[in-house]
Amino acid sequence: MKPSVEDQLRGTCRILENVVAPCVGDPFARTILDNLAANLRMLTGALPAVVRFLRDDNTATADLLGVLRPSLPAALRARIDAALAEPAPDAVDGAALEARNDRLRGLLAEAVVCEGLGAEQHRAIVRLMSERAARMPMRYVPTVSHPPPAARP
Amino acid sequence: MSADRSPDDAGAAAAPPDAAVAAGLEALIRQEIPSAREIGFAGLVRSAGGLSRENWRIDATWVDAGGRHAHRLMLMRDASGTLLNTERAREFAVLRALEGSGVPAPRVFWVDPDGRWLGAPSLVMERMPGSCDYMVLNGGRTLEERLALARAFIALMVAIHAVDWRARGLGEALGAPAGRPSLTELDHWRDEYRRVRLEPQPEIDYIEAWLRRRAPEAEAVVLVHGDFKPGNALVEDARITAKLDWEIAHLGDPLEDLGWITNPARRREHQIPGHWERREIVAAYRELSGRRVREEDLLWWNVFSCWKLSVIQLTAVAEFVAGRYDRVFQTPFWLVRTMLQMMEEAP
Repeated sequence: MKPSVEDQLRGTCRILENVVAPCVGDPFARTILDNLAANLRMLTGALPAVVRFLRDDNTATADLLGVLRPSLPAALRARIDAALAEPAPDAVDGAALEARNDRLRGLLAEAVVCEGLGAEQHRAIVRLMSERAARMPMRYVPTVSHPPPAARP
Repeated sequence: MSADRSPDDAGAAAAPPDAAVAAGLEALIRQEIPSAREIGFAGLVRSAGGLSRENWRIDATWVDAGGRHAHRLMLMRDASGTLLNTERAREFAVLRALEGSGVPAPRVFWVDPDGRWLGAPSLVMERMPGSCDYMVLNGGRTLEERLALARAFIALMVAIHAVDWRARGLGEALGAPAGRPSLTELDHWRDEYRRVRLEPQPEIDYIEAWLRRRAPEAEAVVLVHGDFKPGNALVEDARITAKLDWEIAHLGDPLEDLGWITNPARRREHQIPGHWERREIVAAYRELSGRRVREEDLLWWNVFSCWKLSVIQLTAVAEFVAGRYDRVFQTPFWLVRTMLQMMEEAP
């Protein structure tokens, strides 16, 4: 399928950077444009990884909820059980995967602040959070003011 | 030029054209100086900097009962979307209180606290000499010059913390923390977090719980800048001419500013590798301030700094999604690992 989504995103970045940006004289507008182009370039690389990230994260989050479950209050345990009993969404349905991710992470947010978790459970929390942060496909792309450094007087 | 705008017109205004800013400023001057006439402006331009507010440069002249005036001004106007939910009136009070204190800060002229004249809350101050460079400590200057500047930044921090806030009326303007300043700040930013979060953030909740369990006592209550960094200062040659961006200044623990600059996530801005790192910064602060600086308390403020930065980035995400903010930020997972590592190192 040509141009592919990636081809189009990459081409849009190129046009913004090479054709549009040199004609933007206003320093504020140029800084905004640079930020948008850099973010679009990041998205071009990240987009293919998002669905897989969500699928893997749902599995890892469900596993962690299972590890924490024995130390949680009964009402939260029941909601976790209900969520985990639901069938997993279609592996390529990004919206369904994201909705499930939202639900599981909502339960995790409640679980990780509960009193009474043991040392091994805290280690499991830190491990999942660290690994998730490392695998997250979308990243903030810092850009400097144009022209750098910005003279503010 | 009519500028009789009602407060109802204020609010989430889009960035106005230059003429609207000039008209608003003229109306504000007429309000503040009833005898002002022959008001003129030149060189109005919105600068590229400013993540939380619009920064407008303008040269103003007018005649009033005191004679002819000419000033290089900077107008800081709340953007329709912002990283920081702050009040211009508080910032105005801080800048007024700093006049004559020895802390280099812009002289402040006027405030439009509710955006009656400028369409959004605004502050007008003197435009100071110097330039702003986030990376000035790791830029093109010689190592000797950069080290001298690094020491000057610490001396400036100590000077801010030494301001007699009670004598200068800042207790009334800012409010002193009722209990531990660490908990006051944690509560403040927790409220911000709850206001802006769009989706569950278990990492932020987990780290907040850790911070709450370990919140330290303060050695003193001082004026805290709250966003102390080279990017919020003007430097001319080897001299810091002004500390800027006082919108989140407050009364609190001096380790809050020290924790902000020794926070590993901001290392590239605040440290000079091999020469001016955490150990040297803390030693210089101890020497100049005479404060003890307990390492475990400082580590708490390092974690808090990253956590607060995470909340600020989540604010940007929420504002972007709402269509009010024009820069793209992401959920700050890059900070999560840094925070978790520091927590594991804590005694």
